[in-house]
Amino acid sequence: MINRNRFSSKGTGMRVSRRRILQTTSALTGVGLLASMPTRLLADTFDEMSDQWTSADIDWRAQEGSTIVLNAVQHPWTDAITPLVPLFTELTGINVDIQTQSETEYTAELPVKLGAGNPTPDVYMVWAIGQAITAGWLEPLDGFYGNSQLSDAAWWNDDDLFPSARSFQTWSDGVRYLMPITAESQILFINQPLLEDKGLAVPTTMEGLMDTAMALHSDDVAGIAMRAKSTGDSTWPAGGFIFTYGGAIIDLDGNVVINSPEAVSAMATYGGLLKNAGPVGISSYQWVECLNDFMAGAVAIGCDSSNFATDIANPDKSVAAGKTVYATLPQAGDMPIKPNMWHWNAGINSNSANKDAAWLFLMWAESLPTCLLSSAAGLATPRASAWASQAFQDRFGAQAADTALASLKAGDGDLFKATWFHPKGPQILDAFGIALNQIATGASDAKAAMDAAAAKIESDLAG
Amino acid sequence: MNSSAGRDRRRFVLLMLTPATVLLLGLTLVPFLVSLAFSFSNLSLVTPDDFAYIWFENFGRMFESPEFWNAVRITVVFTIAAVAVELVLGVGIAALLHNETRAVPALRLIYLLPLAITPVAAVFTFRIMLNPSLGVFNYLLKQIGLPPQDWLGTPGMALTTLVAVDAWQWTPFILLIAAGGLAAMDEEPLEAAQMDGAGPFEIFFHHTLPMLYPYLAVAVVFRSIDAFKTFDIIFVLTGGGPGIATRTLNLLAYKQGLEFLEMGYAAAIAIVMLIMTIIFSQVFLRRINMFRPKAAL
Repeated sequence: MINRNRFSSKGTGMRVSRRRILQTTSALTGVGLLASMPTRLLADTFDEMSDQWTSADIDWRAQEGSTIVLNAVQHPWTDAITPLVPLFTELTGINVDIQTQSETEYTAELPVKLGAGNPTPDVYMVWAIGQAITAGWLEPLDGFYGNSQLSDAAWWNDDDLFPSARSFQTWSDGVRYLMPITAESQILFINQPLLEDKGLAVPTTMEGLMDTAMALHSDDVAGIAMRAKSTGDSTWPAGGFIFTYGGAIIDLDGNVVINSPEAVSAMATYGGLLKNAGPVGISSYQWVECLNDFMAGAVAIGCDSSNFATDIANPDKSVAAGKTVYATLPQAGDMPIKPNMWHWNAGINSNSANKDAAWLFLMWAESLPTCLLSSAAGLATPRASAWASQAFQDRFGAQAADTALASLKAGDGDLFKATWFHPKGPQILDAFGIALNQIATGASDAKAAMDAAAAKIESDLAG
Repeated sequence: MNSSAGRDRRRFVLLMLTPATVLLLGLTLVPFLVSLAFSFSNLSLVTPDDFAYIWFENFGRMFESPEFWNAVRITVVFTIAAVAVELVLGVGIAALLHNETRAVPALRLIYLLPLAITPVAAVFTFRIMLNPSLGVFNYLLKQIGLPPQDWLGTPGMALTTLVAVDAWQWTPFILLIAAGGLAAMDEEPLEAAQMDGAGPFEIFFHHTLPMLYPYLAVAVVFRSIDAFKTFDIIFVLTGGGPGIATRTLNLLAYKQGLEFLEMGYAAAIAIVMLIMTIIFSQVFLRRINMFRPKAAL
């Protein structure tokens, strides 16, 4: 049984080697197993792993007896972290009330709660970062990082976080408000047997992508599917096309450049791919339709989040399991590729009454030992060590992991942040989503649609 | 009754009415007044500290916005189309079911089922069925040799599909009211018309339908108000697209309020929707004068 008293003071000071962590986690074969573990086995797991957390010079029991509310979206991170939370409670004596909602419910309800100054949730997944920081809904984290009772920089090992994840934490005022919890990048996934049947290679240029998609397109299988629904959250893959063509939506100086020649060319390619080789009904395609079609074998090529690899590799869900080759976004001319990227982040409610307990939760949830456990379930965490672990490579797929990692390194976090972190990001992306939809359906050509989007964004930003 | 007993009775009635009155005021009047106050302000949850009353600026901005007038047009088209289809189908089915057969109880149950299903669950099922590549509708079309359709892909098709899904869900409501009206109807005028040699269509259009008007008026007002503020079907199936072809007023208010957090502007849209609803229902009921039963003969 677990002896709570041994956590009553600061950590033991014992340093745990990366090798030891890897040995422990590889023995666990994944959090999927952990999720179904009976209580006794969970306690055993805790006994096995506890020193990896207690080796930190952190007073984990400082907030013993408190309860925090975690508001989360239905998401792989939530699925991976939920079964691990009892380990946190054992470690700290802090109870965690996890409230999970669909993304639609979440983004509709949480702003109203936070806007009304509600003290709960204490910790939440942050969906519109610019909005949340501008509105003052996030507690700055720098103070916690500097608190010797609640933080141990050497144990935390900030360098292990991907540079892009670190850049996501920091707002333009230089303050850290966010804790990155996932890492995903835009990649291509291609049905390999279909590619081989046609004797084609993985495309490395945009022209090659168009030719390949057209060649694979038939009455039964669409050549390519990418998001095209007329909503702001459909714009993420198209953003990667624009960056790769050397364009931007909002440039680093805050100018609206969505109708620049580079952006228009990128969207002409994006729309051309979907018009010529996309499935019927592309107008209503969000990421879920793209993923489902690919997993059902109804689409030959997809271009979306690397996180899809876990589902694609699951033979219970996907006929493309074991038959998919992953690749980075193709080049446009001789310009470097800049696929889109994303880190989900969690933050502390600035009105929370349990900020220290909330911080301890974030420290624990994104620590290397916890990331190793969650990555064993296939979660793409923001820690490089977790990506290198055998358990993650087995679950996610080594080739998918290598491709996603290469894409993450190629992505331009600053370009992404200029748009997606903008205080009026939702308005900007809404106008972009309308243009994207009109281009993909042929309702408008790329130039006219992007000009209209630029005018709408200018008007929204001026208003 | 002496005065003391009268006072006691008044107190008792007041006491009994108080909870309902407080609830009603708390749940309807207070939110309305708060919305009204917001509509005259620049309240944005992103910059709550900049709160100021800007009076009619939100309304001016709205009336100058092509997006608003586009949403008005789509909302009106959707409402008229949906209510018209539901009215025709609902009254038609009710009239057919009125001539009792042994299958009627089962048929009535089947027709009423859509009303009993949680709307969002039903709409998500439609979203799967309407999926162009994996959905059952296109599968059936392919089975009979027809090309697959892009049900939500073009402005016209998307609006038609939304009307069809709304009709599937709400035709039973009209059916229920029309069936109630038919059941309560005095059969004598109809029998007299039959004796005079009128055919079934003549009887239906010249006698049954006029006598149903009061019931249908209620149904049309209820359904029009409801269709005017339809949200779930449109949000789940098209999200307002393609482009902004199905972005109705309610969806526009949702986007402004809950996506862009511009609560003042969103409240102004909601207030305009409320005024439009009140004007429509008052004008409709007064002009058509449907609450006065018409003589059939």
